[in-house]
Amino acid sequence: MQDKLSFYIHRDSPLHRLNPLTKLTLTFSLILMGFLAPGYWTATFIFLVVLLPFSVWGKISPEFTRTTFRLILPLTLFLFGMQSLFYPGGKTVLFSFWIFSVKLEGVQFAYLTASRIMNMVGSFLLLLLSTHPSTLMTALTQRGLPPSLTYIIVSTLQILPQMRNKANTIIDAQRSRGLETQGSLRRRFGALLPLVGPLVFGSLVDVEERAIALEARAFKAKRIKTSLLLIPDSPAQSGFRLGLIALTMLAIGSRLWF
Amino acid sequence: MAIIEIENLTYRYPHTSQPALRDLSLQIEPGEFVAIVGANGAGKSTLCYTLTGFVPHFFQGELSGRVHVAGLETKEHPLEDIVLVSGLVFQNPFNQISGAKFTVYDEIAFGLENLGVPREDMPARIERAMALTGITAMAERSPYALSGGQQQRVALASMLVMEPQVLVLDEPTSQLDPLGSREVFAVIRELSREGMTVVMAEHKLEWVAQFADRVLVLADGQLVLSGPPAEVLTSPLLETYHIGQTRYTTVARRLQAENGWPAGQPLPVTLEEAEAGFKAALIK
Repeated sequence: MQDKLSFYIHRDSPLHRLNPLTKLTLTFSLILMGFLAPGYWTATFIFLVVLLPFSVWGKISPEFTRTTFRLILPLTLFLFGMQSLFYPGGKTVLFSFWIFSVKLEGVQFAYLTASRIMNMVGSFLLLLLSTHPSTLMTALTQRGLPPSLTYIIVSTLQILPQMRNKANTIIDAQRSRGLETQGSLRRRFGALLPLVGPLVFGSLVDVEERAIALEARAFKAKRIKTSLLLIPDSPAQSGFRLGLIALTMLAIGSRLWF
Repeated sequence: MAIIEIENLTYRYPHTSQPALRDLSLQIEPGEFVAIVGANGAGKSTLCYTLTGFVPHFFQGELSGRVHVAGLETKEHPLEDIVLVSGLVFQNPFNQISGAKFTVYDEIAFGLENLGVPREDMPARIERAMALTGITAMAERSPYALSGGQQQRVALASMLVMEPQVLVLDEPTSQLDPLGSREVFAVIRELSREGMTVVMAEHKLEWVAQFADRVLVLADGQLVLSGPPAEVLTSPLLETYHIGQTRYTTVARRLQAENGWPAGQPLPVTLEEAEAGFKAALIK
């Protein structure tokens, strides 16, 4: 039973020890540059020359490549299929079969889109595989993100799988009382209310109790919150983040002015 | 001076016509272990929420009378001040896990972070709270990977780390199996022995009899009985209020009806009292 939604893999690596904000800045910079910087091969270049080496540096390259390709493969296949056959500006026919013809312009467009999506997915994965969600959220809270928002994001990672388990328990309980949950669409729809009702009402009670528990732990106290976790930073990392932001601005500027 | 003083408390939840608590007055001394018993809907949970400030600050509603907890008038102080002096642990251990932390150690630290406690002061307080509740070995485990009893001890530790003066427990073992209940009661007993003021709403009368200094009986929002466990838990009025009795009292009463219980021997509420009574009966 998975007890939390998280990609994080614990490793002892320089990438893991980077400040989460540095990694977050890198993520968004690479994504924006992949989409906005000129050049057909930019996103591919970023993936091969930046993301893959970083994943090796973080000792997560097998998981990184495996998860990236697993996530984008279905979309990529769909993209290539649709764009190569139906791309509006397609003129150069590569080959034909039956009533369909695969066009070069469609394939090129599909590759460009797929490479940008792969860059985006890879950038996020690099962050999520090497950064514990608690660490990331603590870093953001220390920089001004509202604690309530932080709590919503982090608690969802843990509570959602628990809710899923609870839903399964309710389904089993109702089935043991004779509720038919399989069969025709009508029967399945009829089973919905006895399943959804307990889950929704139970969740409302849970929400109130959790709110009480949070209040009892002074979550809404109007004090400056501290953190048990010490998140290291350095002038070098700070400079690196500024450099990334500057590069990203350059990429956006090149798009606007050229 | 009493650590808890309630005078003429009447409270009504929003959108209800009947008060949940009526004209209730009581005092609790520092270090006292007070148990609250009563049928469902008697007002036990409402009283627990009142002692921790959730009534009226969280639930709103109409509150009249005076509630004074550890030097704070609860109506006049914000909830964030009251929770520092009066900690609440309630029935469902799962819902008391914040979800914001991934280890037991960090979970216990959560309250300290919210209070702005300096980082360097946190480890000592966390370790003391874990030692008090017997969960030191679980420090690196996920709170969601624990049993109910273990989670409830984490909830207790998460309160204790904030160093409240009063610990209020609303049926803390109602959703636990016998082993989990025993673990939690052992911790509560130890806290009481160390001088913590404990107020506990509970249905398990055998535990109440064993640990409480005083028992309060609520019925329909009113305080109807108050006194030592031996006196309250053997009162014939308990049946009127739909409250049972301990197993020991039940057996002794049946013997008493058949003239099998020694005359002058008080009805027992604990195992030790029952043992003494049965020995006396056998000798007789």
